[in-house]
Amino acid sequence: MKKGLIILSISILLFVLRDSSFGATTVGSLLPLKDFPKGWTLIEGPKNFNKKTLFNHINGQAELFLKYGYQKSAFAIYQNKKNTENQIDLDIYDMGNVLQAFGVFSRFRTEDRPGGFGLDSYLDERSAFFYQGKFFVLIQTTEPNPDLLKQWATMISKRIPGPSSPPMEIRYFPPDHLKAGSIQYYSESLLGHHFLKRGFQGAYLSGSKEFQLFLAIFGNSQEAVKAIGAYKDYLSSRGKVSTGVPRAFGPNAFKGEDPYKGKIIGLQKGAYLLGAVGFEREKEAEELLAEFVKNMK
Amino acid sequence: MLSEKMERRKFLKTMSSTLLGAAAAPLLSGLPSFAKAGETSSLEYRTLGKTGLKVTTVSMGVMNCSDPAVLQRAFDLGINFYDTADCYMRGHNEEMVGKVFEGKRDKVHIQTKVHPGDEKKMRASVERSLRRLRTDYIDVLVWHGHRHPEEVSDPGLFEFMGKMKKEGKTRFIGFSAHSNMASLLTEAAKSTFHDVALVSYNFTHSKGLKEAVALAAKAGIGIVAMKTQAGGYKKGKMEGITPHQAALKYVLTDQNVAAAVPGVVSIEEIEECAAVMKSSFSRGNLEQLKKYRAFLDGRICTMCGGCTGECPNGVAYGDLLRLVMYHDGYQNDRLVKEAFGDSPAVAQIERCSECLSCSVMCRRGIDIRGKMELARSILRDLNMTGSIAG
Repeated sequence: MKKGLIILSISILLFVLRDSSFGATTVGSLLPLKDFPKGWTLIEGPKNFNKKTLFNHINGQAELFLKYGYQKSAFAIYQNKKNTENQIDLDIYDMGNVLQAFGVFSRFRTEDRPGGFGLDSYLDERSAFFYQGKFFVLIQTTEPNPDLLKQWATMISKRIPGPSSPPMEIRYFPPDHLKAGSIQYYSESLLGHHFLKRGFQGAYLSGSKEFQLFLAIFGNSQEAVKAIGAYKDYLSSRGKVSTGVPRAFGPNAFKGEDPYKGKIIGLQKGAYLLGAVGFEREKEAEELLAEFVKNMK
Repeated sequence: MLSEKMERRKFLKTMSSTLLGAAAAPLLSGLPSFAKAGETSSLEYRTLGKTGLKVTTVSMGVMNCSDPAVLQRAFDLGINFYDTADCYMRGHNEEMVGKVFEGKRDKVHIQTKVHPGDEKKMRASVERSLRRLRTDYIDVLVWHGHRHPEEVSDPGLFEFMGKMKKEGKTRFIGFSAHSNMASLLTEAAKSTFHDVALVSYNFTHSKGLKEAVALAAKAGIGIVAMKTQAGGYKKGKMEGITPHQAALKYVLTDQNVAAAVPGVVSIEEIEECAAVMKSSFSRGNLEQLKKYRAFLDGRICTMCGGCTGECPNGVAYGDLLRLVMYHDGYQNDRLVKEAFGDSPAVAQIERCSECLSCSVMCRRGIDIRGKMELARSILRDLNMTGSIAG
């Protein structure tokens, strides 16, 4: 009992320390002002932006960030001393928490091209981005140079203090047949439905086709049940509600055909509504969904 | 005119992979369309200025939409004009539009954007847009985010956009603006260059903008209204018309507006918006809307800038009005805390007590002093008074 209390106290302390280390880190302090790679110089910035001024920096794209809880950001431009045409743009966004940082990252990622920095990352010829803690970092170059981008991304990643973990819901998605880099977090209207609110979705490979598992998050189980009712109403009027839902999926489970996404099976577990959609082989979807549920324990 | 440096920065913001994203790959191919018969019978079309395009008055801003089903639903509803941009979600937004409308290209009009830069980079941007959109032409190519009237008459813009038109990359050209719209439209109306203007336009804007819209429309510029919902009106329903529909219809009562492109993210939202085309508004309905607008007037600061610098004590009342809007309009105290937790404006509010009367006058009738008192009250209720200087 006493041992348990000690472990719990240490865990709480570590959690508090972790959060406070992020909380104390201002987004501007992560921008290197002097200690950046040799041969480079800061030519513009640092510029700081907030919810009101972000539009001035990235125009309408700001709306996406605001939907994901954007707090503040900082921006700077660095120039290669030898080749002045070679420049780096660095944006660091404080998204408030790791879930929202992942959300923006997942919406920016167009395919799986990990760069090996941050909690998860993307690297191509001219751009690199990653999330770590509550921060989303975007680096772009005028000249194609992935090695350089990786060097800068790694440097920024090291400047972000404290340990950090990806959102726990990512671990619920069964790994087999999961399309790499496909998990996304939506801050609203998951699957294009207002009533599903926020949640995750990930793509699964089935032969040459794909289907999706999704996880909608609600405030409590009553809200999740209500959303199931809304989805069933939608299917009744626009698609089809079917029978033959496995008993193991619980009393609120449903099956049907979504007019735009194809076959769907869904269930409620606590404050979650989870399911599979767009599949062809029902057994395969049901097995994956069962594993999805199992992973939540 | 934009500096070369700024042009470069804007270009960098638009850089994006040309590779197709698959994380949210649509699963639409082969699926039946479930549009109900008759759904398209109440569509309302207007001509988009001198382009001659017949566009649905309620069209769609795709910017924040990430689910192809929403686009598919919009198409099934008969909506035929879609606004996207090269930079939205690093090009992913254009990719989604391209995938959904592949094979239906002749049934929709697509508007996308390009950012200022040198010709090589702008050309590359347009080519990327074409690849992502899976088409060999753009219907309307918009120069993104003008802020100053001189940008509207930029010879560099004329030259590049003219080339794109001549080469068949785009059928029509124009510009977009989030601020200073009246000046920009007035300037644009002086030339025959612009076919389309995409401007913020909603029920909170001034008569000056309405007149500029009319002037531009008279000059043949097709007006596409964005930011039509303006926000801050989540206050129930009015005799069957939701605030979103009311706001949208308000914009469309201006016949100089060819189309509105509300940004929607769900099937329910696009259905709600599209239903506006089916509604015919009586005088009584319009009176209701006027009352509703009056309700909002004096409550919502439209950030028009008309009162900037009027406070002798330097109080950032614009920020504090926004605080009141978050609390009173959005009913979102979490947002108040997030946005104003460390704002210097919160401490400045104490300076208001130094004046017996407020010298700041709002042209839209906002009671500034009353609002500042309300802001103080909100801050106290939210235990944010520690931030207020004693």
